[in-house]
Amino acid sequence: MSLEELAFLVLAVIALVTAAAALLVRELVHTILWVAIFFVDLAAIYFLLEAPFLGVLQLGVYAGAVTVLLLFGVMTTRKRIFAREAVTGIGATPLALALITFVFLVSALGELGTSEQPIRSYDPSYLSTNLFQTNGPWLLLLGLIMLASVSGSIYLVREGRE
Amino acid sequence: MTTTLVLSGFLALSAGLLGISIFGILTRRNFILLLISIEIGMNAAILNFVYFAAFSGASTGLTGQAIAVVLIGFAATEIAVGLAIVLALNRLKGTINVAQSNELKL
Repeated sequence: MSLEELAFLVLAVIALVTAAAALLVRELVHTILWVAIFFVDLAAIYFLLEAPFLGVLQLGVYAGAVTVLLLFGVMTTRKRIFAREAVTGIGATPLALALITFVFLVSALGELGTSEQPIRSYDPSYLSTNLFQTNGPWLLLLGLIMLASVSGSIYLVREGRE
Repeated sequence: MTTTLVLSGFLALSAGLLGISIFGILTRRNFILLLISIEIGMNAAILNFVYFAAFSGASTGLTGQAIAVVLIGFAATEIAVGLAIVLALNRLKGTINVAQSNELKL
């Protein structure tokens, strides 16, 4: 087993375990800590896939901003931050649906074939050219949507609104 | 750089994450946990774009990374709006349990 394969196996197991733990623990703050580890782990997978720009973006946006935003959400909606959630149980039907989805998708992987292709690394300057020239309009649209969402969020949480 | 990693292993990881996400969406009643479940599913989808960008032989594979950048922005936006809804819901009902927010039910 090569070093890359070992790294991928470890990262994949950490991703699956932290994602499951985030949804199964009863304290919301612990959930957010597990999710933070999950996001950092995904950033490591991006680095493994030779996408360092995306890895840094994942660390900044997800592991940084989104985690802090979620923590603020917990802090502003609870009297005791470490209060436990009521037990909601696992439920046989949701578990079965999740397993069916997983098995269905994994069984479709056989269609891909087994041709091994090396991971391709890109120069980040080509990515910026692709992002700002080829896909420039989409990036502009993203900016407009983000602006609209910020306005909408402020409208939703502003004082005096009934 | 030549590695022995294969695409199907990565795709199986994404399928597992999507399964966990679906399980969370169907079982959790707390709005913040629902948002986190949706984020896990969204990350599974973003990972797929990066896999195919990394394993495609052509230079057009970069489009996959560009789409991933845009999707990460969308996901952050979605969290911001979702948390605004959480705060509004908490102010209005005193709880963020989605099972108790049933005004729109027929």
